[in-house]
Amino acid sequence: MEARLRDIREGIDHGRFPAYVFNDQEIFDLEQEKLFGQAWTFLAHESEIPKPGDYVTRYIGNNNLIVARDEHGEIHANLNMCRHRGNMMCKSEMGNASHFRCSYHGWVYKNSGELIGVPYLAEGYEGKLKRKDWGLVKARIDTYEGLVFGTFNEDASSLEDYLGGFQFYLDLYLKQGPNGSEVHGPPDHWITETDWKIAAENFAGDGYHTPVAHQFGFNLGYFPSSGATHSQGWAASIPGKGHGIGLGHTPGFTPFAGFPDALTAEIKKSLTPDQVEVFSNTRTAVGTVFPNLSFLMQPFSLIPGETGVRFVTMRLYHPIGPGKCEMYSWCLVPKDASDEYKEAAYQAYTLTFAQAGTFEQDDLENWARLTRMAKSSAAKGIEFPYLMGMETERDEDFRGPGHVVKPYVNDSNFRNLWGRWADYLLGEA
Amino acid sequence: MTESNPRPQAENPDEGEVFEFPKDGGNAGPIVIANEFADVVVRKVSTRNGMRLELWSPRRGTCVRFDAVALDVLSYQEPEFITELLARSPGA
Repeated sequence: MEARLRDIREGIDHGRFPAYVFNDQEIFDLEQEKLFGQAWTFLAHESEIPKPGDYVTRYIGNNNLIVARDEHGEIHANLNMCRHRGNMMCKSEMGNASHFRCSYHGWVYKNSGELIGVPYLAEGYEGKLKRKDWGLVKARIDTYEGLVFGTFNEDASSLEDYLGGFQFYLDLYLKQGPNGSEVHGPPDHWITETDWKIAAENFAGDGYHTPVAHQFGFNLGYFPSSGATHSQGWAASIPGKGHGIGLGHTPGFTPFAGFPDALTAEIKKSLTPDQVEVFSNTRTAVGTVFPNLSFLMQPFSLIPGETGVRFVTMRLYHPIGPGKCEMYSWCLVPKDASDEYKEAAYQAYTLTFAQAGTFEQDDLENWARLTRMAKSSAAKGIEFPYLMGMETERDEDFRGPGHVVKPYVNDSNFRNLWGRWADYLLGEA
Repeated sequence: MTESNPRPQAENPDEGEVFEFPKDGGNAGPIVIANEFADVVVRKVSTRNGMRLELWSPRRGTCVRFDAVALDVLSYQEPEFITELLARSPGA
């Protein structure tokens, strides 16, 4: 396996990547151990658990966790497993509780994870069980602008180091005004016959598929881009970190169009001058935080030919098997925006990227078939070309960090993404 | 509530959250408070000479009636007080 991975790693630098990895049990098992067991994984947005006792259940790899805000406002992520006999503590995916009580033998934990209640403690355990030794199993957590990440890897570097400058681009989604962004309701989530890597790659800046897979948007005028100019824009990636974003540009497009004017003014104040310049030239921003968290911001119009409303979706591709993942999809809205704008943004998100959204259906039709084909026996020996932009030099005029190239239609983000993926699988991340 | 006697506020010092005194009234219950671990039914009951808050646990079939003094003392307990009670009697 290591020799195969070394071949893959070398192939990436030459613009080649194998088909079979998108649906393979051995690769899936290795990812669970070497990637999701080691990297930082997105758990929740802080606005999903705003009050003491609020919790949601989420995953790190195949581990289900309770992400809860304790009675003093601190956030904790604990394995959702009673330490006594391993029963799942929270069966509900979201709720509010000061204490969690196991439905098997009745052990009770504070929402911070400390064990506090054991039935028949004195009679049964005769002093042998110390409650402080048997709290829920804690994950390390860290946050950036409302995003809560977790890992069980004690040796992982800080989240700041892990993000490695990608924060510059994340701010477009997360600093939508002085008080940032918040989720608009709980996430849609559904199981799909799609490998997580296909979705992660697509959202790392695949502007190439848009005029074809989503041609309805162009043809009917719901989406402010045209086939003639759609390749324009930038692909930005953080070398060695795996994160990447595509910044699509439409000539003559009004900066920040799709946001109400007053909100645009507030957003500009929340960003640095470099960020304002970069985002002023951005129609669509579609990016992936390695490995499986993605964002997309773009305007969408209900009335053909108009700019429409700018919305943000955040999505997580939780792998549940080779070629199979559970998609989580949120709508992020500016916290300080009017209810009217929030509803309009949510409507645009629902029509495009929620479970039954038009763009989502276009993508999943393709992704599910791609996943199925990747399992073909003939696919074992097939590689895909990742050759776009191999020789392109960095755009030195661009004011954002990382390796940034033109045009938007480019494979450089994907080579960086799969290079990082291979580094993790080789234990060399 | 009058201007000279404004609506009270309570602040959770740990996180600076301000609880606003409820404006709407007139609902004597029953009110259900439930999560996936427990559920209780609360209502206001009149006695001949005053009021109590009745709190039922339908699963246990237990019930208490708290008067104003009992509820008042609960209003300034720390969360750890409830933790202590649950540590003593965690029961399923």
